Amino acid sequence: MTVFLRLFILSVSLMFFYFFYLYIEDDKYYPGASFQTSNMPLFELEDLYSDDVITNSDIEGAHLINVWASWCITCRIEHGFLVKLSSQGIPIMGLNYKDEKIDAINWITKFGDPYKFIIHDLKGELALDMGVTGAPETFLINNGKIIAHYRGEVNEMIWSDVFSPIIKKENLFNDN
Amino acid sequence: MVIEAAQFLTILATGLFFLCFVFSIFFDVNDLNIIKLISRIYSHSFFLFLSSFLIYVWLAINDNFSVLYIAQHSNTNLPVFYKISSIWSAHEGSMFLWIIFLSLWGAIYNFSVHNNEPLKARTVGVISITTVGFLLFLLLTSNPFETTLPLPPENGADINPVLQDPLLAIHPPTLYLGYVGFVIAFGQAIAFLIEGNSSINWEKQVRFWSIIAWSFLTLGITLGSWWAYYELGWGGYWFWDPVENVALMPWLAATAFIHSLSASSKSSILRIWTILLSILVFSLSLFGAFIVRSGIIDSVHSFANDPERGLYLLAFIGILVMTSLILFSYRFTILISNKRIVSLSKESFISINNIFFGTLIFSTMLGVIYPLMYEFIYDQKISVGAPFYNAIFVPITLLACLFLLFSIESKWQSKLKFAFLNNPLIISFVFSLFIAFLSFKFYSVSRAWTLASLFIGSLIISRYILVIYVYIFHRKFVNIYSVLAHLGLGLLIISIALNNDFSSERALNIKINETETYKNHEITFNNLQLTEGPNYESVKADFIIENKNGNKFSLNPEKRKYFVRGQITTETAIHASLLKDIYLTIGDQLDDGSWIVNVQFNYFIRWIWFSATLMIISGLFLARSLNRVHS
Repeated sequence: MTVFLRLFILSVSLMFFYFFYLYIEDDKYYPGASFQTSNMPLFELEDLYSDDVITNSDIEGAHLINVWASWCITCRIEHGFLVKLSSQGIPIMGLNYKDEKIDAINWITKFGDPYKFIIHDLKGELALDMGVTGAPETFLINNGKIIAHYRGEVNEMIWSDVFSPIIKKENLFNDN
Repeated sequence: MVIEAAQFLTILATGLFFLCFVFSIFFDVNDLNIIKLISRIYSHSFFLFLSSFLIYVWLAINDNFSVLYIAQHSNTNLPVFYKISSIWSAHEGSMFLWIIFLSLWGAIYNFSVHNNEPLKARTVGVISITTVGFLLFLLLTSNPFETTLPLPPENGADINPVLQDPLLAIHPPTLYLGYVGFVIAFGQAIAFLIEGNSSINWEKQVRFWSIIAWSFLTLGITLGSWWAYYELGWGGYWFWDPVENVALMPWLAATAFIHSLSASSKSSILRIWTILLSILVFSLSLFGAFIVRSGIIDSVHSFANDPERGLYLLAFIGILVMTSLILFSYRFTILISNKRIVSLSKESFISINNIFFGTLIFSTMLGVIYPLMYEFIYDQKISVGAPFYNAIFVPITLLACLFLLFSIESKWQSKLKFAFLNNPLIISFVFSLFIAFLSFKFYSVSRAWTLASLFIGSLIISRYILVIYVYIFHRKFVNIYSVLAHLGLGLLIISIALNNDFSSERALNIKINETETYKNHEITFNNLQLTEGPNYESVKADFIIENKNGNKFSLNPEKRKYFVRGQITTETAIHASLLKDIYLTIGDQLDDGSWIVNVQFNYFIRWIWFSATLMIISGLFLARSLNRVHS
């Protein structure tokens, strides 16, 4: 009886710790992540700073597209990580979403610019075509195809769990 | 340079703590010189470690932004008070504080317990190795001393605004003090198991420390509950948030533990329970640290996520707990008491109490890990909410209270003369029935569980008041602090039941100069003004509330936007009276110019915290009285 009790206590606690080990090592499930491949919609939109028109030809190869706005609080939290990514040489295109030009420019001046260039999408046309529901959202595109899409804040953990595996698999951003 | 010096002091302390542990294991701990040696090394390493922390506090006060952590969580505009509390506003610094408290308990124990006490050296050794484990965690995975050199920023990124609150500066430290305070009970239990001498009465020594730690844990949880109520705008006292749950589990285990201790400190009966509970309390405290700091669970409490930290903590806690349990099962035979528990004795009631508490802990644990298991197997997130916990906690707690009622008369190691018809029980039974009937008839309390809780709460209160009566007029000895703590329990049950039954809320859509009526109160939106605080701008609303007796008062809920982080917080406005709180928060402005305003009537919520305070005070006084007997 006592032997049984002792073994029971030991094995239950061992199972408990083993479960947490498996849980931590397990690939997490992220409701915001989607890996359905689709074509990047065609667009012709103005640059935030000038009247230059930016089109699909400006984002050939592999790019991140980050949807942001000055009214978006989460974007502010996410921003620091984007700055870090761009300093590692990852090209990020900003998609300024339903925002006033002046607000957006002030915001970037205040918090830093991680973007290669920023498209000003006042009416959210391109965003609509891409299936954006809010900000922030981040897309990974490669040769005119969207290969990953994340709704919500991208941070260190999301980057390593959601984006890094597919980047490694597709062998992207290697020339940098 | 100073930063490196502080870090070096911590590293040095880690080494010395480890030495303490090694000596306590490999040297003869019955030799007084060895005990003195271990005790002194411990004191010295604590002193070094404390100096390191004080230097860190000094760096924070002086806005030394070459320290990465301070640059990320403090700001020159903050008052000094918040510059200090910013240290425990995020992971690295709060872990630092956690370990300081851990070693502080050890240092107080080491200082105040005489070297002749049998288990001292080994207890200090166990406390040391626990401290080393966490110090390595701190230094290797979450180093608070990391610098921003060579280019420190001009100003810091500011503390999270919801943490800019005096209460929040106190809530984590008190909770930590409670959490880690059980390291002494744990250390003593492990030392006892290593020693393997069943004649040592470790329970007696440990009672004082455990009751103090229990009081701190209760206080920390209560402060957190109060803070969530008025600062986060949650408008309640308990939310079954996963992190609240991981604080509740050690509390439940600790409560069972201190009850069990009172039995085992008189005779070695219930020793298996007591040892197992002492390991459980501390393990659950550590488990709490693991859950919060590994980022497994999303909650207001969770820190920045880093899987590596989770893995380290899991490994360390796993090794510590498994070693303890293996030791426990190795020494199992010496723990078995040759005395049998007499049925209906006080011991038997305490074992029943342990079973009830065990069930509550198990259920809470299930509620915490079931969603994780579900996610692990099905890749879907689900959450376990209040209905689950209520369904389990209400009946079990009420049942446990009934047993408590009968246990009042019971005696140590002898059978209770079981007479249902003794006077105190009849008086309190009739009284409680009367209370329940009154509230049913005149205050429209109709829910069965509320009535049952009212009845049982009143039973406990009236029964214990009779105990106090006997204590005063018949000079019969009772443990008055235990009586007060249990009065607190009765009051808590009644307040929770009434709060649950009476409280209500409504979201109003209201424009300036409009009046809305809610539950006999006229709520007038008088004015709205923009103001600016030291580090935020805010919209402050002015409401005039008039109750049916014509009494008027104004309430000013606020919405703040903090400059540095751009975060928006709601500041609630609360009008507190004896029975109820009127609680206002403002939400967003709608397109037609009206504002969403949430009105809550929270009944008896102050009574909930008052009950908890009664328990805390009783705990502290009980500890004081034990200490007096001890010395």
